[in-house]
Amino acid sequence: MSRLTRRPQPGRIRGTLGGGGLLFNSLTFVAFFAIVLALHYMPWGSWRVKKVQLLIASYLFYAAWNPPFIVLLWISTALDWYVAKRIHASNSRTARRGWMLVSVFGNLGILGYFKYGAFLLDNWAALMSTVGIEWQAPGWNIVLPVGISFYTFQTMAYSLDVFLRRAEPSDSLLDFTLFVTFFPQLVAGPIVRPADLVPQFAERPAPQPGRLPWGLALMVLGMFEKIVIADGALAPAADAVYGTKDAVPWTDAWLGTLAFSGQIFCDFAGYSTTAIGASLALGFSLSDNFRFPYAAVGFSDFWRRWHISLSTWLRDYLYVPLGGNRKGAGRTYVNLMATMLLGGLWHGASWTFVVWGGLHGTYLGVERFLRERIGPNRISRTLPFQIALAMLTYFLVNVTWVFFRARDFGTAWRLIGSMLAFGGGTPVLDTSVVASVLVAVFAILLVHGLMRDRRIEDVASAFPWWLTAAIVGGMLFVTVITQGSNDAFIYFQF
Amino acid sequence: MRSSISSSESLRKSGRREDPPLRAVPVGPWRRIAVLSLTVFVAALAVWEGYWRSEWFVPSYRNSDGLWTLTHDRIDREGPGGTVIVGSSRVLFDLNLEAWRDETGAVPIQLALEGTGARPFLTHLAQDTAFSGLVVVGVTPPLFFPSEPGLRTAILDYHRDESPSQRVSQLLSMTFLEPYLAFYDPDTALFTVLARQTFWPDREGKEPSFPKVRKLSLTRRTRQNDMWNKVELDPEYRKIAQDTWLAFLRAPRPPPPPPEELERQFEALLEAVAADVRRIRERGGEVVFVRAPSSGPFFEAENHGFPRERTWDPLLQATDAVGIHFQDHADLQDVDLPEWSHIRAQDTDRFTRALIGHLRTALAERGTPRKELAP
Repeated sequence: MSRLTRRPQPGRIRGTLGGGGLLFNSLTFVAFFAIVLALHYMPWGSWRVKKVQLLIASYLFYAAWNPPFIVLLWISTALDWYVAKRIHASNSRTARRGWMLVSVFGNLGILGYFKYGAFLLDNWAALMSTVGIEWQAPGWNIVLPVGISFYTFQTMAYSLDVFLRRAEPSDSLLDFTLFVTFFPQLVAGPIVRPADLVPQFAERPAPQPGRLPWGLALMVLGMFEKIVIADGALAPAADAVYGTKDAVPWTDAWLGTLAFSGQIFCDFAGYSTTAIGASLALGFSLSDNFRFPYAAVGFSDFWRRWHISLSTWLRDYLYVPLGGNRKGAGRTYVNLMATMLLGGLWHGASWTFVVWGGLHGTYLGVERFLRERIGPNRISRTLPFQIALAMLTYFLVNVTWVFFRARDFGTAWRLIGSMLAFGGGTPVLDTSVVASVLVAVFAILLVHGLMRDRRIEDVASAFPWWLTAAIVGGMLFVTVITQGSNDAFIYFQF
Repeated sequence: MRSSISSSESLRKSGRREDPPLRAVPVGPWRRIAVLSLTVFVAALAVWEGYWRSEWFVPSYRNSDGLWTLTHDRIDREGPGGTVIVGSSRVLFDLNLEAWRDETGAVPIQLALEGTGARPFLTHLAQDTAFSGLVVVGVTPPLFFPSEPGLRTAILDYHRDESPSQRVSQLLSMTFLEPYLAFYDPDTALFTVLARQTFWPDREGKEPSFPKVRKLSLTRRTRQNDMWNKVELDPEYRKIAQDTWLAFLRAPRPPPPPPEELERQFEALLEAVAADVRRIRERGGEVVFVRAPSSGPFFEAENHGFPRERTWDPLLQATDAVGIHFQDHADLQDVDLPEWSHIRAQDTDRFTRALIGHLRTALAERGTPRKELAP
């Protein structure tokens, strides 16, 4: 099968996984996007022609990873296009439910086959072994198609929205196909809801002053986050700490984990910001995927700020259908935990991701329990208390990142032990790397704290125009002289 | 709230969200912002470029995985014959490809890689290609004989997996950036520059990191690497290069395996190399080994750790191959090695012509002259 995208392994964060494709941080993408943008704004051609151009560009974009996997995109597109029509046309509840299940099992079947097949077989073999049956799992050398977790959820949401009578199916196959394939967010989100994007394809976007340059400025910001902060300042520390097999002192364990917390934010938020910017430059709006999550006060707040498109997807299509908080306190906690465990598993076929999700489920459950028992009061509303809660949230989030980043449980426990018990060991980080981590993490926390209740657009509007220009030009300069290593985005492997 | 997925106005119903949320765009004079942004960017980049040019940097090609792969592709493009060079930085720096072309009429395919032993590449040529020409194998003892794969062996994976996107990026870079920008060099990358500053204090308990090898050469499109004149002419920079090698030579290493295990590993190595050589010969090709010069502490350490009679000589015996050792030929020693390991650029022409002469003679004496080396 493919030679371009390898199966993700826990803890394998940097490197060539997915690196062969049309990465935003590659010269090929710069040329590709320049051509797409030029064609898009050429004065000739109807709106339909422009959309066909975007569709072809999107397929080219995806083919840059692995041309045969375009077939999967077609299957996913055709499946939900047809299923949604059938659901809409059906009057019987049984038929509607049946067609909905076709979509769910179809999409999850594709996802399961490519993403979880080896994991399931390995765990089945381990389970058999525990009961004394030696069973050898067959080789499962299946390559993970890049972005499959994102676009299957996106197309599934389309059928589910029609089933839940939240929306009617699209009447344009071209618009729906473009929605599934739209290249800025195809491989790593944001997971766009059909109702938010398909209608935007109906007509040529109305002119909006500053949309193109602001979109490009957002792309610069996203690339700055990815190339300078994630890959340049933070990844070396995270790689060194999580890559060593020896015990590291608590200082290094914390620095490595703080570095990873900043790296994964800047990597993923950098991708989302670039995707939002690229879409905006083409005239389309995508919703925010991050809202300064490290300033979150509590975990429900955190999940309103981190990977918003996934958390709202899980809320709307998993937590709420499971009953949400409508079936009593006990069931609410079960629903919360189930949602977060599956959310963890969505990230990758590994138990470390499940533990990561389980920890978040536990945090959310404990927070809910305390809020119901204690509730907000005069003290909890004070600024020092809020800051203390935000710091506690950040601390606990960092603990979860250990499981997300570690290649195995042995590494995770070793680092957790060192972090929490002030363990000793041999330092692995040079002073320059330590300084990079401290500066970058401090800057991230400062920005998140200051921007917690603000939007970047409002801040940019409030700045003098020359300051905005200097910041954008400066970020572009630092990004270029960092000379990125063309490392793939972390979330490509999910 | 129900919302419309429909593209058609006619399907929108009351009670549904009519329009998807549109992103706000900051208010501002965007034309002026765009012009000033670009001005700041270009001005800062010009200053950065000027600074690095004042530090002796000049535009050259990056010795990248992509350039190596493009060079490797010549094997398929130019047919199964020709000359391929594999090895480490010595044969990369020391062999002058233009002199080679003058002597033989063809530019050899330069696949040597710094910090990397030749063996995986000899195996690759033997097993994964139809190559049937002449393979020149550079033998740098600390890289050829140990079992560690070396710095850049993973380039074989890149070569196998390179995507169209990576190929296009490589071509764009070689067309629009590398020939014009001096700062576009791994040695001037921001975090590389920051990390090598001397003001960082050592961390207590932290073992010193292995020093990063600074820029030593300028790469041409053919992958000819000429020693950077700063190494030769700037005493301070040359000392940095020498100190790096000293740190490398003095770095603590894990204890070697027991002598019998070492012997077994060496026998296995000879067997594997001989098998690769046989396979290439069976297709009509030939393999020759070249021990390029070293001097000073490097030469002493190599002689101590990898004595010729226990490494080089058995290698030639096991492979029944021609080998040219610089110690056997006065004209191969008549070169300047500013940092003890590589020949300065102006001596490579003479060295290469002399080497070709010795190869011709040795192959002729053995009764296996090669057309690839014919004048």
